[in-house]
Amino acid sequence: MKKSKIKSILLHLLLIIAVVITTYPLIRIFSVSIRPGDRIISTDLSIIPKGATFLSYIKLFKETYFIKWIFNSLIITLSTSLIGVILASSAAYSFSRYKFFGRKIGLYILLFTQMVPAGMLILPLYLMIMKLNLINTYLGMIIAYSVSSLPFSIWILKGYYDTIPRSLEEAAMVDGANEIYAFYKIILPLSTPALSIAFLFNFTMAWNEYLVARVILYNPKSYTWTLGLFELQGQFITQWGMFAAGSIIITIPVLLIFLYSSKWLVSGLTLGSVKG
Amino acid sequence: MEYLTSFGEVLFLIITVLIGVLFIEIYLYSHFKLYDKKFYFFIPLISIFIFYFILKAINLYSTKTMFFITLGEILFSYLCVYRIKGKNYLPYMLVIPSFIGLALLLVYPFVFEVYLSFHDLKLTTILPWKETGKIPFVGLKQYINVFVLPPLSETTFWQLLGRTFLWTFSNVFFHVLGGFILALILSEIKMFKGIYRTLLVIPWAMPQVVAVLSLRGEFHSQYGFVNIMIKKLISAFPFLEKLGVAPVNWLSDHPLLTCTLINIWLGIPFMMVVILGGLESISKSYYDAASIDGATYLQKLRYITLPLIKPVLLPAVTLGTIWTFNNINVIYLVTGQAGGTEKADILVSALYKAAFVYNRYSYSAAFAMVIFLILMIITFLYSKIIRVENT
Repeated sequence: MKKSKIKSILLHLLLIIAVVITTYPLIRIFSVSIRPGDRIISTDLSIIPKGATFLSYIKLFKETYFIKWIFNSLIITLSTSLIGVILASSAAYSFSRYKFFGRKIGLYILLFTQMVPAGMLILPLYLMIMKLNLINTYLGMIIAYSVSSLPFSIWILKGYYDTIPRSLEEAAMVDGANEIYAFYKIILPLSTPALSIAFLFNFTMAWNEYLVARVILYNPKSYTWTLGLFELQGQFITQWGMFAAGSIIITIPVLLIFLYSSKWLVSGLTLGSVKG
Repeated sequence: MEYLTSFGEVLFLIITVLIGVLFIEIYLYSHFKLYDKKFYFFIPLISIFIFYFILKAINLYSTKTMFFITLGEILFSYLCVYRIKGKNYLPYMLVIPSFIGLALLLVYPFVFEVYLSFHDLKLTTILPWKETGKIPFVGLKQYINVFVLPPLSETTFWQLLGRTFLWTFSNVFFHVLGGFILALILSEIKMFKGIYRTLLVIPWAMPQVVAVLSLRGEFHSQYGFVNIMIKKLISAFPFLEKLGVAPVNWLSDHPLLTCTLINIWLGIPFMMVVILGGLESISKSYYDAASIDGATYLQKLRYITLPLIKPVLLPAVTLGTIWTFNNINVIYLVTGQAGGTEKADILVSALYKAAFVYNRYSYSAAFAMVIFLILMIITFLYSKIIRVENT
């Protein structure tokens, strides 16, 4: 009995060390963000520094285009995820419900696109967008992002549609609905969880993207937040406080969404494999 | 005002996309539905004309593309009249918009990259290419260059290859090891399990750019947490200094080690969640039976746990290997600042720099094809291993 108690205390201790390692960088970023202006760069390790202020946050909004960066990111991300989900939902329905010539080849093409490393396609995409004169525009970014997570969304949604019994649509068709109507009025509302997972997946992909944005956007006003933070962090000495403040503002909502939806997300991802 | 125009731009874009999809649908519908009418002959003709005007409008017209479009149109009409015959066309109408998107933005770039790798597009030939669309053909020269000329200013292809394998192996090894240990501990305890789990996945949940950039700051030689900690340890335990422990210039002297440490921190939670899922699905009765037979903890681990989580672990390791191999993000965010070091670059990040820092477009296209081939071989070997393990 005593031995198991020692063991349990030891395990908790190990876990606490691990938790400290995983959360400490975030805590430290927070403490840097509330340091007063003259002590932003210091070897101080305390979590709440002396003379804590929110000056860095105010400076971030006043002296940089931070709001514009967030706005740009939101616009690009929302448009790409919207386009992605609309395209994926109908294509996945077709793969799930119909047997047609080319279905197998189509599914293989989807798998193959997952094997091409994303970093490889940045160069040709950049050249294409340059040729279309869309460098430094929302349109160029949305074009570059829009289909990158389409194959994955199609797979998730197809898996989910497979779990919805066909008899639902058959019943609707007996009542006189045509196939398209049955899809929009019965299947789509039923698959809200899968649609939101696909949307969330598309959203996080585009929201956190950095490398494509780096080559397409060059004007500080049209940056996404990832580029903006990179610029702030680059000038380590002068803008460390603003970088920390920006990081906190970006991270907290993302973390909250993730923690709120994580259980649901994991169960949603496995939903497709379980026959319901 | 500025924001309003942005909204207008995006609204315009979304309407354009919707009109585009609508156009595709009308196009498909007219072919599928009217295939047996007498005037069907006109529909492909009208479509070709519309394609011609669209290409002219977005300035992509060339005789070659027009030729392919005509060919495609003839093929499609043939399919409509002799094969599909108005039967079962709905699935095509649902699938084709997505596949047009994939073809234009995933398949075409890939083909274009293959094309580029046999030509010579660089900073001096890019303007003529933009105006006339012509690039000099050089055959296999770029592929030879990949192995002969260094992709970056000094580092050669073979150095990059070795570094990539070192990077991939060490990362995946520590991801699995760390994830496995944490998952084992988590599966043993009962109190606060949910809280621990939530806090431990923070590195995975944080936006990667924020995580990497803030950790990069912690490796700063003077103000970073790591070196401050080392200094504190030395002042607390003076004998450490005699053992050679000293603050290190992480970012300039050991960039690859820094990147690896950051990436290990980032990657453990994913493996932990996957392995924990596997552990929780193992029935307790196996362990009880083993305990009755007098098995030690290590024996249980070796003969029950490992074989039973293998079906979860192998795909996760395969995916992890491919992700780590392809990880430009961490290395570029750590070393990509102007004047950043090139001592940490692996194949993919060197590819990115060769294309966008050194502007050697065709060279990096050939380089990309070589990397793609290596990745294909790795994936193939992995699938072989998994198949052997499963039989």
